[in-house]
Amino acid sequence: MPKRFAASAIASIAGLIALWNFSPTLRGQSAPLSGKASEAKWNQTPPDKSAYAGKKSAPPPRQDVSGIWDAWTEGGIEAKGALEHPALGANDRQDSVSGQPDERNILRPLPYTSAGLEALKANKPAVGIRAVPAALTNDPVDSCEPPGFPRTELFEFRVIELAQTKNQVLLLNQFYDNWRIIWTDGRDLPDASAPQRWNGYSVGKWVDDYTLVVQTSGLDERTWLDNAGRPHSGDLRVEERFHRVDYNTLELTVTINDPKMYTQPWLALNKFVLHRLPDDFDPEEFICSPSEVAEYNKAVGSPVAAPAPAK
Amino acid sequence: MTLILAISSLPLFAHHGNAAYDVSKTITVKGVVTEWFWANPHCLLKIDSKDEKGEIQHWVMEANNVPSMSKVGWTKSSFKPGDEVTVTMTPPKNGSPVGRIIAGGNNTIVLNGKPFRPVAGDNSADSESATKP
Repeated sequence: MPKRFAASAIASIAGLIALWNFSPTLRGQSAPLSGKASEAKWNQTPPDKSAYAGKKSAPPPRQDVSGIWDAWTEGGIEAKGALEHPALGANDRQDSVSGQPDERNILRPLPYTSAGLEALKANKPAVGIRAVPAALTNDPVDSCEPPGFPRTELFEFRVIELAQTKNQVLLLNQFYDNWRIIWTDGRDLPDASAPQRWNGYSVGKWVDDYTLVVQTSGLDERTWLDNAGRPHSGDLRVEERFHRVDYNTLELTVTINDPKMYTQPWLALNKFVLHRLPDDFDPEEFICSPSEVAEYNKAVGSPVAAPAPAK
Repeated sequence: MTLILAISSLPLFAHHGNAAYDVSKTITVKGVVTEWFWANPHCLLKIDSKDEKGEIQHWVMEANNVPSMSKVGWTKSSFKPGDEVTVTMTPPKNGSPVGRIIAGGNNTIVLNGKPFRPVAGDNSADSESATKP
């Protein structure tokens, strides 16, 4: 065996031995972890808004939206509907009005077509200006039907993780343990004959080094757009613009484009800010379990909804 | 004896307003915890309380969903069967033995003789460590 080959073989073996000794993963975690990993906590909650104030950030990385992101702090719960168009009266920010037949008096009205208005009225939310008594709501999410897309960003938008592979961006959402694959391999969206999906079909591309634009179509018509029961048809196209502002900040703009239901596109989220969370942040689980819902209904739901007993 | 038929139940995963509750009133219930149900859509504290006649009434206090309660410092171990509690809550309009409290609201709970004041943020993220690439 030539001397050089022998020397490099010995060096490689020495390297592997060193790697083995110093890598707990390779040794099957037989050594205790030390430092940051052993202090990791589970079931964490994003910090208060004040924790983000005045913090300097490193510049944004190129073509990188990856990280665990806090969508909760800047208003992601969106209980009254998509953040840019809550179903609240212009003069009623305290949400004391309910039972209205339509949304004509809301702060920022939506441009419904007549089909859109009809579809809106068929959806009976328990919040906002059109709220029906809670026992009469037909919100599919209350019986654990999938919220689908874009509702997972227009309702209970709390913690998400974005991860990038060679040809995909993966979006993992705490709400309903929902995940989406955004293909970045240059493919086109499928045509209208493709079966509808709760989360649709998504393709994305970088329009510059800091902005990822995602188009989604093929969305199941059974879902509501948001918690206020805004409707959509199978023709809905959703555009998300993820803009990496700096290392710690992502801005998300969501545009709803559905000519059957709305006379023009509208913004559901407009440069909505997500703050970066630590890489070891473990969010709580937030899933709808039919058996847990049944327990809730037995203990609270049914008793509270029953007519008052005759005196 | 009257038979009360529940016409439907109160669905909850999709938030709703307070329509079934009388927000102008509060009720205070004192008793013993029989179960602390830490789950979605809402966490439930079940309490057995003796009424004026000395009979046991089964009460349920409902809070919010798990992530919202965690944010204000509640946990799966905040209560256990056998704990003595006094809770002040919002009653439903129909007088059923249920009450509601809201995460972060002005709630008065006394647990085993002491005010129940969970510390918010015990398990919140440290935003410092997010700032370094």
